[in-house]
Amino acid sequence: MNRCKRVKRLLSRYLDQEVNDKEVIFVREHLAGCPFCSEEYAGLLRIKRLFAAKERKALPADYLVSRLRDRIAASRQEEERFSLVSGMARLSLRLIPVPVTVIAISLLFMALTLQQRASEFSIEEHILSGDPTTIETAARVILQRAN
Amino acid sequence: MNEDNLYIERFLNGENSAFEALVRKYQNRVLNIVYSLIGKDRESEDIVQDVFLKVYHGLESFNGRSRFSTWLYRITVNTTYDFLRRRRRFISDELTIEKTASGYGGPQEELLEKEKQELLKKALGNVPLKYKAALVLRDIEGLDYATIAQVLHCRLGTVESRIYRGRQILKQELFRWRGEAL
Repeated sequence: MNRCKRVKRLLSRYLDQEVNDKEVIFVREHLAGCPFCSEEYAGLLRIKRLFAAKERKALPADYLVSRLRDRIAASRQEEERFSLVSGMARLSLRLIPVPVTVIAISLLFMALTLQQRASEFSIEEHILSGDPTTIETAARVILQRAN
Repeated sequence: MNEDNLYIERFLNGENSAFEALVRKYQNRVLNIVYSLIGKDRESEDIVQDVFLKVYHGLESFNGRSRFSTWLYRITVNTTYDFLRRRRRFISDELTIEKTASGYGGPQEELLEKEKQELLKKALGNVPLKYKAALVLRDIEGLDYATIAQVLHCRLGTVESRIYRGRQILKQELFRWRGEAL
Protein backbone atom coordinates (compact mmCIF):
# COMPACT_ATOMS: atom_id res chain seq x y z
CA MET A 1 0.00 0.00 0.00
CA ASN A 2 2.83 2.28 0.93
CA ARG A 3 4.45 1.40 -2.39
CA CYS A 4 1.25 2.31 -4.24
CA LYS A 5 1.32 5.73 -2.61
CA ARG A 6 4.93 6.24 -3.66
CA VAL A 7 4.27 5.05 -7.21
CA LYS A 8 1.21 7.27 -7.61
CA ARG A 9 3.35 10.25 -6.70
CA LEU A 10 5.85 9.22 -9.38
CA LEU A 11 3.41 8.23 -12.13
CA SER A 12 2.97 11.64 -13.73
CA ARG A 13 6.74 12.19 -13.81
CA TYR A 14 7.25 8.66 -15.10
CA LEU A 15 4.82 9.40 -17.90
CA ASP A 16 6.78 12.53 -18.79
CA GLN A 17 10.14 10.76 -18.55
CA GLU A 18 11.19 13.01 -15.73
CA VAL A 19 12.33 10.24 -13.39
CA ASN A 20 15.78 8.78 -12.86
CA ASP A 21 16.81 5.21 -13.78
CA LYS A 22 16.22 3.89 -10.26
CA GLU A 23 12.72 5.33 -10.20
CA VAL A 24 11.97 3.89 -13.66
CA ILE A 25 12.81 0.38 -12.46
CA PHE A 26 10.85 0.86 -9.26
CA VAL A 27 7.71 2.06 -11.10
CA ARG A 28 7.93 -0.57 -13.82
CA GLU A 29 8.26 -3.43 -11.36
CA HIS A 30 5.39 -2.13 -9.30
CA LEU A 31 3.07 -1.59 -12.28
CA ALA A 32 3.72 -5.14 -13.45
CA GLY A 33 2.24 -6.52 -10.25
CA CYS A 34 -0.34 -3.91 -9.17
CA PRO A 35 -3.64 -3.67 -11.11
CA PHE A 36 -4.76 -0.52 -9.22
CA CYS A 37 -1.65 1.48 -10.07
CA SER A 38 -1.70 0.05 -13.61
CA GLU A 39 -5.24 1.36 -14.02
CA GLU A 40 -4.19 4.75 -12.65
CA TYR A 41 -1.28 4.81 -15.07
CA ALA A 42 -3.50 3.83 -18.01
CA GLY A 43 -5.87 6.70 -17.14
CA LEU A 44 -3.02 9.23 -17.06
CA LEU A 45 -1.67 7.86 -20.31
CA ARG A 46 -5.07 8.31 -22.00
CA ILE A 47 -5.16 11.93 -20.86
CA LYS A 48 -1.68 12.54 -22.20
CA ARG A 49 -2.54 10.92 -25.55
CA LEU A 50 -5.71 12.93 -25.78
CA PHE A 51 -3.67 16.08 -25.28
CA ALA A 52 -1.11 14.96 -27.83
CA ALA A 53 -3.91 14.53 -30.37
CA LYS A 54 -5.39 17.90 -29.48
CA GLU A 55 -6.01 20.00 -32.54
CA ARG A 56 -3.28 22.51 -33.27
CA LYS A 57 -4.22 25.90 -34.54
CA ALA A 58 -2.30 27.76 -37.18
CA LEU A 59 -2.33 31.32 -38.41
CA PRO A 60 -1.86 32.06 -42.12
CA ALA A 61 1.85 32.63 -42.77
CA ASP A 62 1.99 36.44 -42.95
CA TYR A 63 -1.25 37.28 -41.21
CA LEU A 64 0.25 38.09 -37.84
CA VAL A 65 3.29 39.83 -39.29
CA SER A 66 1.14 42.24 -41.28
CA ARG A 67 -1.14 42.91 -38.30
CA LEU A 68 1.92 43.58 -36.16
CA ARG A 69 3.40 45.91 -38.76
CA ASP A 70 0.20 47.99 -38.58
CA ARG A 71 0.16 48.05 -34.81
CA ILE A 72 3.86 48.90 -34.56
CA ALA A 73 3.42 51.73 -37.07
CA ALA A 74 0.40 53.00 -35.11
CA SER A 75 2.29 52.84 -31.82
CA ARG A 76 5.24 54.68 -33.40
CA GLN A 77 2.92 57.45 -34.61
CA GLU A 78 1.41 57.60 -31.15
CA GLU A 79 4.88 57.81 -29.61
CA GLU A 80 5.88 60.58 -32.04
CA ARG A 81 2.70 62.51 -31.31
CA PHE A 82 3.25 62.06 -27.61
CA SER A 83 6.88 63.14 -27.87
CA LEU A 84 5.83 66.21 -29.90
CA VAL A 85 3.23 67.17 -27.30
CA SER A 86 5.53 66.49 -24.40
CA GLY A 87 8.33 68.37 -26.21
CA MET A 88 6.07 71.37 -26.63
CA ALA A 89 5.04 71.12 -22.99
CA ARG A 90 8.69 71.02 -21.94
CA LEU A 91 9.47 74.02 -24.14
CA SER A 92 6.51 75.91 -22.70
CA LEU A 93 7.70 75.15 -19.19
CA ARG A 94 11.14 76.47 -20.07
CA LEU A 95 9.71 79.63 -21.64
CA ILE A 96 7.36 80.44 -18.76
CA PRO A 97 9.96 82.54 -16.85
CA VAL A 98 10.23 84.97 -19.82
CA PRO A 99 6.62 86.31 -19.79
CA VAL A 100 6.56 86.14 -16.00
CA THR A 101 9.65 88.37 -15.80
CA VAL A 102 8.24 90.80 -18.38
CA ILE A 103 4.94 91.06 -16.50
CA ALA A 104 6.73 91.52 -13.17
CA ILE A 105 8.95 94.28 -14.58
CA SER A 106 5.91 95.99 -16.17
CA LEU A 107 3.98 95.88 -12.91
CA LEU A 108 6.93 97.28 -11.00
CA PHE A 109 7.33 100.05 -13.55
CA MET A 110 3.62 100.92 -13.39
CA ALA A 111 3.68 100.93 -9.60
CA LEU A 112 6.68 103.25 -9.52
CA THR A 113 5.12 105.59 -12.11
CA LEU A 114 1.85 105.73 -10.22
CA GLN A 115 3.65 106.36 -6.99
CA GLN A 116 5.60 109.22 -8.54
CA ARG A 117 2.48 110.75 -10.06
CA ALA A 118 0.61 110.31 -6.83
CA SER A 119 3.18 112.34 -5.00
CA GLU A 120 2.56 115.21 -7.44
CA PHE A 121 -1.18 114.88 -7.16
CA SER A 122 -3.44 116.91 -4.93
CA ILE A 123 -6.98 115.74 -4.32
CA GLU A 124 -8.12 119.28 -3.52
CA GLU A 125 -6.79 120.59 -6.89
CA HIS A 126 -8.53 117.74 -8.64
CA ILE A 127 -11.88 118.54 -7.02
CA LEU A 128 -11.49 122.26 -7.86
CA SER A 129 -10.50 121.49 -11.50
CA GLY A 130 -13.81 119.71 -12.13
CA ASP A 131 -12.07 116.94 -14.15
CA PRO A 132 -13.86 113.55 -14.24
CA THR A 133 -12.57 110.96 -11.69
CA THR A 134 -10.93 108.11 -13.57
CA ILE A 135 -9.45 104.82 -12.35
CA GLU A 136 -6.04 106.43 -12.55
CA THR A 137 -7.22 109.29 -10.29
CA ALA A 138 -8.65 106.81 -7.78
CA ALA A 139 -5.36 104.82 -7.79
CA ARG A 140 -3.42 108.04 -7.13
CA VAL A 141 -5.69 108.87 -4.19
CA ILE A 142 -5.23 105.37 -2.73
CA LEU A 143 -1.44 105.49 -3.15
CA GLN A 144 -1.29 108.97 -1.65
CA ARG A 145 -3.28 107.80 1.38
CA ALA A 146 -1.04 104.77 1.68
CA ASN A 147 2.03 107.01 1.73
CA MET B 1 24.99 31.31 -31.04
CA ASN B 2 21.58 29.79 -31.73
CA GLU B 3 19.20 30.89 -34.45
CA ASP B 4 16.97 32.93 -32.14
CA ASN B 5 19.89 34.88 -30.74
CA LEU B 6 21.05 35.65 -34.26
CA TYR B 7 17.61 36.99 -35.13
CA ILE B 8 17.62 39.09 -31.97
CA GLU B 9 21.05 40.51 -32.73
CA ARG B 10 20.00 41.38 -36.28
CA PHE B 11 16.81 42.98 -35.01
CA LEU B 12 18.72 45.06 -32.49
CA ASN B 13 20.94 46.22 -35.36
CA GLY B 14 17.87 47.64 -37.05
CA GLU B 15 16.73 44.73 -39.18
CA ASN B 16 12.99 44.48 -38.72
CA SER B 17 12.74 41.39 -40.91
CA ALA B 18 14.63 39.45 -38.22
CA PHE B 19 11.85 40.20 -35.76
CA GLU B 20 9.31 39.07 -38.33
CA ALA B 21 11.22 35.82 -38.73
CA LEU B 22 10.91 35.25 -34.98
CA VAL B 23 7.18 35.95 -35.21
CA ARG B 24 6.75 33.45 -38.04
CA LYS B 25 8.73 30.85 -36.16
CA TYR B 26 6.81 31.10 -32.90
CA GLN B 27 3.37 32.44 -33.78
CA ASN B 28 1.59 29.07 -33.85
CA ARG B 29 3.25 27.79 -30.70
CA VAL B 30 2.19 30.92 -28.84
CA LEU B 31 -1.28 30.70 -30.36
CA ASN B 32 -1.73 27.11 -29.23
CA ILE B 33 -0.65 27.85 -25.68
CA VAL B 34 -3.00 30.84 -25.46
CA TYR B 35 -5.86 29.00 -27.11
CA SER B 36 -5.47 26.02 -24.77
CA LEU B 37 -5.60 28.37 -21.80
CA ILE B 38 -8.57 30.50 -22.80
CA GLY B 39 -10.39 28.47 -25.44
CA LYS B 40 -11.49 31.30 -27.71
CA ASP B 41 -10.23 32.08 -31.18
CA ARG B 42 -10.53 35.82 -31.61
CA GLU B 43 -9.29 36.65 -28.14
CA SER B 44 -6.41 34.22 -28.60
CA GLU B 45 -5.31 36.05 -31.74
CA ASP B 46 -5.49 39.39 -29.96
CA ILE B 47 -3.43 38.05 -27.09
CA VAL B 48 -0.85 36.63 -29.50
CA GLN B 49 -0.53 40.07 -31.07
CA ASP B 50 -0.10 41.64 -27.63
CA VAL B 51 2.55 39.07 -26.77
CA PHE B 52 4.62 39.85 -29.86
CA LEU B 53 4.20 43.58 -29.38
CA LYS B 54 5.61 43.17 -25.87
CA VAL B 55 8.45 41.15 -27.35
CA TYR B 56 9.08 43.86 -29.95
CA HIS B 57 9.30 46.58 -27.33
CA GLY B 58 11.12 44.41 -24.80
CA LEU B 59 13.78 42.75 -26.95
CA GLU B 60 16.29 45.45 -26.09
CA SER B 61 16.04 44.49 -22.44
CA PHE B 62 16.18 40.75 -23.10
CA ASN B 63 19.36 39.75 -21.30
CA GLY B 64 19.82 36.31 -22.87
CA ARG B 65 20.27 34.56 -19.52
CA SER B 66 17.41 32.24 -20.39
CA ARG B 67 16.52 30.99 -23.84
CA PHE B 68 14.44 33.31 -25.99
CA SER B 69 11.64 30.73 -26.16
CA THR B 70 11.48 30.52 -22.35
CA TRP B 71 11.25 34.30 -22.16
CA LEU B 72 8.60 34.33 -24.87
CA TYR B 73 6.51 31.66 -23.13
CA ARG B 74 6.72 33.58 -19.87
CA ILE B 75 5.39 36.68 -21.62
CA THR B 76 2.70 34.51 -23.23
CA VAL B 77 1.51 33.04 -19.94
CA ASN B 78 1.62 36.38 -18.14
CA THR B 79 -0.26 38.18 -20.91
CA THR B 80 -2.90 35.44 -20.88
CA TYR B 81 -3.17 35.65 -17.08
CA ASP B 82 -3.65 39.43 -17.37
CA PHE B 83 -6.35 38.93 -19.96
CA LEU B 84 -8.17 36.39 -17.81
CA ARG B 85 -7.82 38.58 -14.76
CA ARG B 86 -9.49 41.36 -16.70
CA ARG B 87 -12.18 39.09 -17.98
CA ARG B 88 -12.60 37.24 -14.69
CA ARG B 89 -14.18 34.28 -16.33
CA PHE B 90 -13.22 31.28 -18.29
CA ILE B 91 -14.36 30.60 -21.79
CA SER B 92 -14.88 27.16 -23.09
CA ASP B 93 -17.73 27.10 -25.53
CA GLU B 94 -16.71 28.19 -28.97
CA LEU B 95 -16.10 26.19 -32.07
CA THR B 96 -12.69 26.31 -33.61
CA ILE B 97 -11.64 28.27 -36.69
CA GLU B 98 -8.83 26.42 -38.29
CA LYS B 99 -7.66 22.92 -37.82
CA THR B 100 -4.27 21.74 -38.90
CA ALA B 101 -3.84 18.44 -37.14
CA SER B 102 -6.12 15.99 -38.83
CA GLY B 103 -5.53 12.70 -40.58
CA TYR B 104 -7.78 10.44 -38.56
CA GLY B 105 -9.22 7.33 -40.17
CA GLY B 106 -12.81 6.96 -41.39
CA PRO B 107 -15.71 9.37 -40.81
CA GLN B 108 -16.94 7.52 -37.73
CA GLU B 109 -13.50 7.51 -36.21
CA GLU B 110 -13.16 11.19 -37.05
CA LEU B 111 -16.47 11.94 -35.35
CA LEU B 112 -15.35 10.11 -32.25
CA GLU B 113 -12.10 12.05 -32.28
CA LYS B 114 -13.98 15.33 -32.69
CA GLU B 115 -16.23 14.40 -29.82
CA LYS B 116 -13.20 13.64 -27.69
CA GLN B 117 -11.65 16.98 -28.58
CA GLU B 118 -14.83 18.81 -27.67
CA LEU B 119 -14.90 16.97 -24.36
CA LEU B 120 -11.29 17.81 -23.73
CA LYS B 121 -12.00 21.45 -24.43
CA LYS B 122 -14.94 21.52 -22.03
CA ALA B 123 -13.03 19.63 -19.37
CA LEU B 124 -10.00 21.91 -19.75
CA GLY B 125 -12.27 24.89 -19.16
CA ASN B 126 -12.85 23.61 -15.64
CA VAL B 127 -9.23 22.98 -14.71
CA PRO B 128 -7.87 25.81 -12.55
CA LEU B 129 -5.50 28.03 -14.48
CA LYS B 130 -2.32 27.28 -12.51
CA TYR B 131 -2.66 23.54 -13.19
CA LYS B 132 -3.79 24.09 -16.75
CA ALA B 133 -0.81 26.31 -17.55
CA ALA B 134 1.67 23.67 -16.38
CA LEU B 135 -0.22 20.95 -18.22
CA VAL B 136 -0.44 22.89 -21.47
CA LEU B 137 3.26 23.76 -21.44
CA ARG B 138 4.08 20.11 -20.87
CA ASP B 139 1.61 18.33 -23.15
CA ILE B 140 0.97 20.90 -25.86
CA GLU B 141 4.36 22.54 -26.10
CA GLY B 142 6.39 19.58 -24.83
CA LEU B 143 8.57 21.58 -22.46
CA ASP B 144 10.52 19.77 -19.76
CA TYR B 145 9.77 20.39 -16.09
CA ALA B 146 12.82 22.60 -15.54
CA THR B 147 11.82 24.95 -18.37
CA ILE B 148 8.22 25.04 -17.17
CA ALA B 149 9.52 26.04 -13.73
CA GLN B 150 11.38 28.92 -15.37
CA VAL B 151 8.37 29.99 -17.42
CA LEU B 152 5.95 29.85 -14.50
CA HIS B 153 8.52 31.22 -12.11
CA CYS B 154 8.07 28.45 -9.55
CA ARG B 155 9.97 25.49 -8.13
CA LEU B 156 10.44 22.18 -9.88
CA GLY B 157 8.42 20.39 -7.18
CA THR B 158 5.56 22.81 -7.76
CA VAL B 159 5.59 22.02 -11.48
CA GLU B 160 5.48 18.30 -10.73
CA SER B 161 2.53 18.62 -8.40
CA ARG B 162 0.66 21.02 -10.69
CA ILE B 163 0.98 18.66 -13.65
CA TYR B 164 -0.05 15.67 -11.57
CA ARG B 165 -2.96 17.53 -10.00
CA GLY B 166 -3.97 18.99 -13.37
CA ARG B 167 -4.16 15.53 -14.90
CA GLN B 168 -6.20 14.22 -11.98
CA ILE B 169 -8.69 17.09 -12.30
CA LEU B 170 -8.85 16.66 -16.05
CA LYS B 171 -9.54 12.96 -15.63
CA GLN B 172 -12.35 13.68 -13.19
CA GLU B 173 -13.79 16.36 -15.47
CA LEU B 174 -13.71 14.09 -18.50
CA PHE B 175 -15.39 11.39 -16.48
CA ARG B 176 -18.04 13.86 -15.35
CA TRP B 177 -18.78 15.00 -18.92
CA ARG B 178 -18.75 11.61 -20.50
CA GLY B 179 -19.63 9.36 -17.58
CA GLU B 180 -16.89 6.91 -18.46
CA ALA B 181 -13.19 6.95 -18.98
CA LEU B 182 -12.09 7.90 -22.47
